[in-house]
Amino acid sequence: MATKQAPTRQAITLKGSTAIVTDFFKFAVNTILYQRGVYPADDFHLVKKYGQTVMLTQDLAVQNYLDKILQQVQKWLLTGGVTQLVLAIIAKDSRSTLERWVFDIHLQTSTEETETPAPSKPESQIQAEIRDILKQIVSTVTFLPTMDEPTVFNILAYTSESADVPADEWVDTDPLAIEASKSQQVKLRSFSTDVHRVEAMVAYRYDG
Amino acid sequence: MPSSENPQKTPSRRSRNEAKTPLTPSLTHALNNLSISAIPSPGRARRSKSASKSNLADITNPFIADPSRPSKPNGFSKSLSSGTGYSLSKSLSGNRSRPGSPTKRTLSGNGTPVMTEEMQREASGGLIKKGKGLASQFDVVKNDYVPPAKTEMKRSKSQPAVKRDRMYPREPDTVAIDQSDRFITNRAEQDLAATLELMHLNPKSSSPGHTSRLAEAANLPVNKRVLAFHEAPPASSSDPLLAKQREIVKPLYARPGALTTSSGGTTGGKARKIASQPERVLDAPGIVDDFYLNLIDWSAQNVVAVALDKSTYAWRADTGSVSHVGDVSEEASHVASVAFSEDGAFLAIGTGTGSVELWDVETSQRKRKMDGHQAQIASMAWNGHVLSSGCGDGSIWHHDVRIRNHKVMELLGHVGEVCGLKWRSDGQMLASGGNDNVVNVWDGRVADSVMTGGEVESCSNAKWTKRNHTAAVKALAWCPWQPSLLASGGGTNDATIHVWNTTTGARLHSLKTPAQITSLHFAPHKKEILSTHGYPTNAVMVHAYPSLERVAEIRDAHESRVLFSCVSPAGDVVLTGAGDENLKFWRIWEVPKAEKKKGVSQGSMDGGVRDGILAIR
Repeated sequence: MATKQAPTRQAITLKGSTAIVTDFFKFAVNTILYQRGVYPADDFHLVKKYGQTVMLTQDLAVQNYLDKILQQVQKWLLTGGVTQLVLAIIAKDSRSTLERWVFDIHLQTSTEETETPAPSKPESQIQAEIRDILKQIVSTVTFLPTMDEPTVFNILAYTSESADVPADEWVDTDPLAIEASKSQQVKLRSFSTDVHRVEAMVAYRYDG
Repeated sequence: MPSSENPQKTPSRRSRNEAKTPLTPSLTHALNNLSISAIPSPGRARRSKSASKSNLADITNPFIADPSRPSKPNGFSKSLSSGTGYSLSKSLSGNRSRPGSPTKRTLSGNGTPVMTEEMQREASGGLIKKGKGLASQFDVVKNDYVPPAKTEMKRSKSQPAVKRDRMYPREPDTVAIDQSDRFITNRAEQDLAATLELMHLNPKSSSPGHTSRLAEAANLPVNKRVLAFHEAPPASSSDPLLAKQREIVKPLYARPGALTTSSGGTTGGKARKIASQPERVLDAPGIVDDFYLNLIDWSAQNVVAVALDKSTYAWRADTGSVSHVGDVSEEASHVASVAFSEDGAFLAIGTGTGSVELWDVETSQRKRKMDGHQAQIASMAWNGHVLSSGCGDGSIWHHDVRIRNHKVMELLGHVGEVCGLKWRSDGQMLASGGNDNVVNVWDGRVADSVMTGGEVESCSNAKWTKRNHTAAVKALAWCPWQPSLLASGGGTNDATIHVWNTTTGARLHSLKTPAQITSLHFAPHKKEILSTHGYPTNAVMVHAYPSLERVAEIRDAHESRVLFSCVSPAGDVVLTGAGDENLKFWRIWEVPKAEKKKGVSQGSMDGGVRDGILAIR
């Protein structure tokens, strides 16, 4: 990212912000899949990103799957059609949701117009915030319950009614919620570009 | 309520007609009203009557014409009725019937009724029906009192909201309520949307269609869709062999305690310190590293027998001297099990080819060779003169060592090799564990071969058959201080200790351990269980009973998996043998003094077991 930054750029555009947010999702999802053992550890390899090493899956099928999802998410981000992304980790056998990683996406364009244009956030600071979130995801392993059973994941997108939905690719679904009585929630850090603000949260099943 | 309205119509109309009449008739009519409208308590009527003098009247039933009216100065009421009744009678000309409903707020403070816009609107719109009686309120109910809000509350309770709505057209809140049902909580749409959002967390409403149907039924713009990509995420496509290997190894790491250090046992107050170093180490070169064998035993005479491949050695714990008991016969490949008779005089040696040999330990002479089994004898147990042997083909034989036809009974309950075999100390039950993951408990009664005329009785019905283990059951232990208790421990894939009540057949306790269980012992003098483990911990563990909390653990007691163990006859030292060709003596328990004496006096079955020999030199 740092190499792309043009010296002339003052404020981040919607397109640039969308790229940052999409990129963040890619790495966040990969980190979660790795840390929570959804895929075996040797499916992942190390890449440098955001000034730290991040695990990325090298399983082509998973890569393609995530790419397809993220492409659509990017489209939705550009139109502002998506309000929330959820990565649900589900027990393979019982199909019960064990963890829900929730990323709230807020558009903050309106505030930008009304107020005097705030000094745009330097990309390094955005990256630092993203790095903090990823580190926090890694650190959640310390308190999240261990998952002994095999798990699968699912990505849900909360979109506005008006958003364009590719009919045969995305389908309305169950929110894969965890029963409120058995759910614990931990709010994670957030990051913001000039256009988007992403707030992260993890809810996990915890039976007393 | 309509019933209370009706009787009022006539009197109230009359009251207007009689507005100019003298006080008395007017009063009687008011009293009429009272009786007709059935005011609950006469005291209330009295109060309203008396209150009329101080203008505090009419906090009671709105349908009653105020009895105080007639007591007003006639001139005042006249002026009211003439002044306001005129304009009203015009607008309300068609409306003849009206109850005496007092709407006092329409009267201004100085007694002049104020015709509000709303009234006019309603009047002209023909809204004023029999319940309203605007006209009547101006001639019957007068100017004098603006009721407190409390009064209105009272009334609203006494009649339906809709009615109240008509009765009090002026009240702003009734206008707001106008269209709604009072039984349905009135919420703003935002609130409902929030409720729906909450319902997402409700599993019962989490079916995909439900929320949308709910939203549709509530006519709500829930501008959110929950979408998922149409395909499921792909399964890991990495090397299936690797995945399988990982799956096999996983339980080793997933087990509780698998990653803690040997000293870092967080076991609460139960933990006890035991020496983590062995008291003594013996070299056992060539000991067979095989989980299924039972290659060491410790006799009541304080002699340790160790089988090293084909040879068997006796190590006397009291002197430390070693003697070579003997080698098994040429055709036998190796020694698969050793077992001392209860008095420690004879050593039974089971071979890899299926024969059982009896050796005299003192003289190192082979006394007897009992053939018949077709496979390796991996486990043996003594009960008096009966030696039970567990064979690789799954059969268990009872040999009566005194008689020529030694095979007196056959127990067929395993389909895999019998690797664990233990008699209960009273000889009433025999427990066997096999490579088929089954634990069997047999009735210990052996038919006398003489009585059956040399026929070998075969039994295939175990008293209890337990299939809870998921791996070979080698570790078996009867409890010395509670005879019905049997502990059994499974191999690598199971690594679980189950404690059974053999009287009822119930499983009393289970404990998952970090590694394969190779042997189990109940502590003779303490409520504890000792277990030895294979890879990865290679540990000796002591668990409290019945809590099964970890009392102590010696991590990496051997460099290889701990395969064999036996407890000293005194009950304080445990000997372990492992694939690293070492025998190690661990002082796990202490012998209580009183117990020791008792044990000596009891253990005088062979002319008094010496105090001195129950110690390791």
